[in-house]
Amino acid sequence: MIDLQGYGPRLLEGAGVTVQLAVLSLILAIILGLLTASAKMSRSWLLKRTATVYTTLIRGVPDLVLMMLLFFGGQIGVNAISDMLYYNYEIDIYINFNAFAAGVLTIGFIFGAYMGETFRGAFMAVDNGQIEAGKAYGMSSGLVFRRIRFPQMMRHALPGLSNNWMVLLKTTALVSVIGLTDMVRVAAEASRATHEPFTFLIPVAVAYLLIASVSEWIFARLQKRYDIGFGGQ
Amino acid sequence: MAATPTPLEVRNIKKRFGDTEVLKGLSLQAQKGDVITLIGASGSGKSTFLRCMNLLEQPDDGDLIVHGEPIRFKTTKHGREPEDWKQVVQMRAKLSMVFQSFNLWAHMTLLENIIEAPIHVLKKPKKEALEHAHALLDRVGLSARANAYPAQMSGGQQQRGAIARALAMDPEVMLFDEPTSALDPELVGDVLKVMHGLAEEGRTMVVVTHEMSFARDVSSQVIYLHQGLVAEAGPPDQVLGNPQSPRLQQFLAPKY
Repeated sequence: MIDLQGYGPRLLEGAGVTVQLAVLSLILAIILGLLTASAKMSRSWLLKRTATVYTTLIRGVPDLVLMMLLFFGGQIGVNAISDMLYYNYEIDIYINFNAFAAGVLTIGFIFGAYMGETFRGAFMAVDNGQIEAGKAYGMSSGLVFRRIRFPQMMRHALPGLSNNWMVLLKTTALVSVIGLTDMVRVAAEASRATHEPFTFLIPVAVAYLLIASVSEWIFARLQKRYDIGFGGQ
Repeated sequence: MAATPTPLEVRNIKKRFGDTEVLKGLSLQAQKGDVITLIGASGSGKSTFLRCMNLLEQPDDGDLIVHGEPIRFKTTKHGREPEDWKQVVQMRAKLSMVFQSFNLWAHMTLLENIIEAPIHVLKKPKKEALEHAHALLDRVGLSARANAYPAQMSGGQQQRGAIARALAMDPEVMLFDEPTSALDPELVGDVLKVMHGLAEEGRTMVVVTHEMSFARDVSSQVIYLHQGLVAEAGPPDQVLGNPQSPRLQQFLAPKY
């Protein structure tokens, strides 16, 4: 058994941060992705343009740069607001721009752009006759979305979604630069203190693998669920 | 004098796709119990006309009156559009459409397909919807396939299932868009038999079809479309039995 030299609980805590960060970012990314896909498929020029600028921006700038921009920029923005409140209204509050929130926002924001492309392709893969049948039976567009478009789209979106999730999971390792103690940061600190990098980095690698395997299993189940009726393999 | 409003009336429907005017002013009135068949060559506009009746296509001009209620339109930069989509949604719930390619929802079983709109659109209690669905499945001869997914059924079964789905809405008017055109010849008969039965029980139907025998046997009115216009219209004996224009004579002549 590996001797974690007392870092065990902190590593576990770090792993908790990693998982929470990843899951919350995924939820935000899915919401942003659905919105982006809808905007890109809408008739409005403005919405289409905004979505295109968003995806181009995100895909063209390194994740790490975006993360620092949002974190430091976010703190500056929050400071400016609290200064304004103090000088104008004598309201004295200090808000600390939360690193965890910044992490979720940045990662969610980055992956929302990728999800947008995944969802757009998936929506376009749904047979139009299926949607027309919904309309012809008096369904509102919301109902058509909920009962027909979404469940049929998911089948096409899941492979891309699971791929994005795996990349997202590993991207969370970047948050240590903005001061979040995820498991990578704990391992790095422990390695430096003990001069035994492998003792800590190997368990971390295994933990990532474990999360990845569990997610693959979940995605396989989901795929099976959404393939129902389509005579999947 | 008329106690019940006309189920479906369309007046002077016009539609263009780009530079091509596909419908040049078409009208039709379906009284209760009418079976109106639309015939014509491919490209004559019959399917587009039918799709304008439930606004799956937006007509560029003309009136649409369902159960006495005119649909309101407005003009936007995208063209002419319904003023109130809620009104359209309510209107569509009164008209059931049967599609050429069936369009049963692929991710639902046949039974789920049939109860879907009654529960979510008409807000029927599930128990009632299920009872009705089972009765309809029995009627179209598909009781054994209630839990099958569309992909597991033959085309003929899917189309009969789609008719059951349409009936589950208790529609004012049923719209059929070439319901047998995508079927293997040996499966056409079963579907036509079901449609015959519907006509006999006094359902109001508008049917786009290539089945001349069906048009002859069950229609109250046959409308022959040519290049987006009504070329001939009237009772089947007249239109099919004694076609006036050479074009319709040629259309009706046996091909082989």
